Amino acid sequence: MQFRKQAAFVVVAAGLVVAGAGGAGLALTRHPVAPHYPAATVLPAPTGPIEAVPQRQSVKVSLPVSLTIPSIGVQTSLVHLGLTATGALQVPPTTAVAGWYTGSPPPGAVGSAVIAGHIDSVAGPGVFYRLSSLHAGDRVYVRRADGSLAVFRVTVIHSYLKTAFPTADVYGPVPDAELRLITCGGTFDYATGHYVSNTVVYAVETS
Amino acid sequence: MRVKIKLKHFVRWAALLIALPALLLAVVPRAASAATASSGNGWVRLAHLSPNTPAVDVYLYSFGDSTAELVLHHVAYGTVSSYQALAAGDYTVAMRAAGAAATTKPALSATVDVAAGGAYTIAGLGPESGLRLQVLQDKLTTPPGQVLVRIVQASLQQSKVSVTWNGQPTVSGLKLGGVSSYETVSPGTASLDVTGESESSNSTITLAAGTVHTLVVLDGSKGLVIDNLLDAAGSGTPPVGGAATGFGGTAPRVPSALPWLCVIGVGALIAAAGGIGLRRRPRPTA
Repeated sequence: MQFRKQAAFVVVAAGLVVAGAGGAGLALTRHPVAPHYPAATVLPAPTGPIEAVPQRQSVKVSLPVSLTIPSIGVQTSLVHLGLTATGALQVPPTTAVAGWYTGSPPPGAVGSAVIAGHIDSVAGPGVFYRLSSLHAGDRVYVRRADGSLAVFRVTVIHSYLKTAFPTADVYGPVPDAELRLITCGGTFDYATGHYVSNTVVYAVETS
Repeated sequence: MRVKIKLKHFVRWAALLIALPALLLAVVPRAASAATASSGNGWVRLAHLSPNTPAVDVYLYSFGDSTAELVLHHVAYGTVSSYQALAAGDYTVAMRAAGAAATTKPALSATVDVAAGGAYTIAGLGPESGLRLQVLQDKLTTPPGQVLVRIVQASLQQSKVSVTWNGQPTVSGLKLGGVSSYETVSPGTASLDVTGESESSNSTITLAAGTVHTLVVLDGSKGLVIDNLLDAAGSGTPPVGGAATGFGGTAPRVPSALPWLCVIGVGALIAAAGGIGLRRRPRPTA
């Protein structure tokens, strides 16, 4: 009799402990956690004839076909991007490729060439997932249709709220051959389905 | 080719040397463009646009530093260098006769205050008898979808030139060594007419939206030659706002509550089972 009662008490206590642990676990995991993905594989630099930095300003350069960023393992073909009906930058149709904005100068010509890519899909990393971990001095390679390479050196990485996007800095004229790499960043707004910021990598052509 | 510099030239240059830096500092506005965000650099390019002045060596010094940062040898009439990115600050540009030792006193010099995001053309302008080294401020912004064009008159054969772009007078009566202000024109392919007193030049050029150009009128072997310099280029139609380049699959998110709710449920079931055991009355013994 006594034994039976004692056993029942132990069972109730154990059940309450388990439920309490569950409650504590629930309470302690109500903050957002960033998913982790394996580190980038560093790629070898592409090989090919490296086009000199344009000395003559009106030199025509061939159109870009692919992009390699060895330090963050990016290797992608480049699609052509235009503008949406509202005048915003069109984005690549898949999250696995980046695109060149055809309204900007081609990479390696005088001016600010623009390449955009997704940071992620709904399921996981996109082509520019690691763009924000680039450092000043990292190299960016763009291969052109004629097989030649334009090599860029990262100068600075900025994050901007989309509501305060510095259009003139990113898309405005510059006197040398530069590159802008654009992706999303900052907080993801689950209500709108958009990130609130853009990450922009600025790079200048080097030889 | 070595150039013999006459004494009277030296006197003239010396006078200019004293007067110019002060004059230029006063004239050149310090204006930073939007490009400041990309780096703390400005840009400088060097040009020889004096028709009857022999080739020169051009030196660029960081102000107060006697070692040149950049030396361009044997720069002949009509030559324009590419832009050199420089940390913001004061610089001195010195011209010496081609081949003259770097230690010799420069024939001409000018000081430029390079602002972060500013672009400058430092040009030898005018006839040899009135040669001057001028710092030109180059623009780096265009009205949306438009083109900026500036004319430099560097022809000795024509003392004045007038320019029409697509039949529309753009610059008129520009004298040798003169530099027009930037004019806004529509992008596209159009005819460019440059007319002097005895010669004229007609060409078809294409100017893309969002670009800034300097058109230099030069004496060629067969009349006027127009050198179309691209000062800067950007997106002709800048996209509006930011870019929608993400779907949130890697964004930090609150983990699912389900596993913990299961644990709570299991605990509650166990406790309930124990509670039933407590309340059940013991079976009567036979």
